Amino acid sequence: MARIQLSGIQKQWGDVWGVRDVNIDIADEELVVLLGPSGCGKTTTMRMIAGLEDPTEGEIIIDGEVMNEVDARDRDVAMVFQGYALYPNMSIYENIRFPLRMRNVPKGDQDRLVRRAADMVEMGDYLERKPSALSGGQRQRAALARAVVREPQVFLMDEPLSNLDAKLRQAMRVQIKHLQRQLKITTVYVTHDQIEAMTLADRIVIMQGGTIQQIGTPDEIYSDPENTFVAGFIGAPPMNLISGHIHKGIFTAENIKIPGLNMQVEGAIKLGVRPEDCTVMDAKTKTSHMTGKVFSVEPTGDSTYLTLHVGQNKIEIKADRNYRADLGLIEEVELDTERLYLFDAENGQRVR
Amino acid sequence: MAAVKRTKGANLFIRYLILGSWALFCIGPVLWFLSIGFRPRTEIINPQPIYLPTFSLDAWHMIWSDWPMAKYLRNSVAAIFGSVAIDLALAIPAAYSLARYKYRGRDDIGFYILSTRMMAPAIVAIPIFFLFRNMGLLDTIWALMLVYAAINLSIVTWIIRSYMMDIPKELEDAARTDGASDLRILWEIIIPAVLPGIITAAVIAMIFAINEFLFTLLIASTPDAYTMSVALANFTGGSDGLIYNAIALVAFLAFVPVFLVVIAIQKHLSRGLTMGAVKG
Repeated sequence: MARIQLSGIQKQWGDVWGVRDVNIDIADEELVVLLGPSGCGKTTTMRMIAGLEDPTEGEIIIDGEVMNEVDARDRDVAMVFQGYALYPNMSIYENIRFPLRMRNVPKGDQDRLVRRAADMVEMGDYLERKPSALSGGQRQRAALARAVVREPQVFLMDEPLSNLDAKLRQAMRVQIKHLQRQLKITTVYVTHDQIEAMTLADRIVIMQGGTIQQIGTPDEIYSDPENTFVAGFIGAPPMNLISGHIHKGIFTAENIKIPGLNMQVEGAIKLGVRPEDCTVMDAKTKTSHMTGKVFSVEPTGDSTYLTLHVGQNKIEIKADRNYRADLGLIEEVELDTERLYLFDAENGQRVR
Repeated sequence: MAAVKRTKGANLFIRYLILGSWALFCIGPVLWFLSIGFRPRTEIINPQPIYLPTFSLDAWHMIWSDWPMAKYLRNSVAAIFGSVAIDLALAIPAAYSLARYKYRGRDDIGFYILSTRMMAPAIVAIPIFFLFRNMGLLDTIWALMLVYAAINLSIVTWIIRSYMMDIPKELEDAARTDGASDLRILWEIIIPAVLPGIITAAVIAMIFAINEFLFTLLIASTPDAYTMSVALANFTGGSDGLIYNAIALVAFLAFVPVFLVVIAIQKHLSRGLTMGAVKG
């Protein structure tokens, strides 16, 4: 049972800003993902929750108690690291038992707890091995077992899957989500992988340059981005952002004309449209919004990604799986006008 | 089938031949010492080659009866192991601090420690003599322990530090969130992880210590604190001239303790010497 509140958190090293004015309220049992490119302050934020780093300003509150002065080892927080951080001189059994020994759990209970944690991540058969005798996936499962063994108040996971290959990552993602739901432990998860964030999170916190860009459920983040950074970071391929002008509700750019938009906005603007909201037309019709030249065609099996050269812009389109075209072919595209986003041309903030 | 077997056998033979020759080359001086040590003195200084050497225990009896060789050996072993124990007790925390914590002047301290090895020992010989005389430690193995420890402390600290720098910071962070105090992290995580480095450093310190001559000669003015290396020098002068066979035996005895230690921890040592260089 733990609610985590970060209020006005700042982290500075001399003149370098790590984290600037971070405010997050994480509910009990919630899984929050901190998402952003490297150097955005997400890991620093997590390390401050763990107590491995002290905030320059602001308060870290766990379960109503201010934790700033509480040492990492007294915070009842378990952390899983990107490099697994298993103790190389100890067997897996000893690794999992380590937090129990450090917290003086009665000797009689230790064995039972270690075996239960190992079984939870299907590592029961590897207890006698040393970490060096395990594969990457097994090591990460052992690290998970070491984190869950003492049922902490809070789980912190720092890019736990980024050293694994794609297939294993998918399997471990499922395992982590299952464990978190089963144990109902408040979890903060750091990643730069937006798929991981979308699939795991109850809520996503998108960070860049040490500040929070947006907090919301995966749905909100995807379909209601606050600014061009969030819009461009989420989605693969990301949202198309087209610079142009808007006048009397009509957006224009080279080879692009889209009527029926917000009448209140005038002047330079950025238009955002997701690849799946673009449709290639069979022939030029009145409803066509843009004209472009085929730049590349990438079939992926369940769909085909098409890149068009529209004036100066390259536009990504998710087309039908059977779509094929030669380079240089002229195509007409229609957009879903219900799902277009306008952003301020200067600061990238959403214009509603 | 047979052909394959034969080349395999030939390969094996060549391999053993090469390794065997190398082993003989390395152990050769030791065998030579032994053969000198167990022959009569007259035979050794004979310029004619001798094809059938005579076995004699003269030198063996002589070193044990005419000199307190057991005491020298005991002094050597005590001073060496004592100094290594002092070194490790001081170097491990120092190395940890230098490897992990950031503080002002850390790099200067690191260089200062290393710089003690750049100085010619003779420069400090006289001050050290007076220092120990004033402390009343002259002619004791305690003084030898301290001197050997002081000489080796920098290199031991430096070796252990470089091993500690290779330990990922994540390991300590993990231990800290698991609830371990700084001391327990050092004791349960760091020291086991750098054990090969600690052993390597200890062996190097031992070898330096057993070969130490200048300060031992200075501090040990009577046989009370003589070590093997100084005892050895006593056979090279005096009215009896050079007693080659006794020298050979004493040299052999000086070599034995370190040799036994190295054999016992060989596995860790070879791992230690390579581990720091190539990250596994």
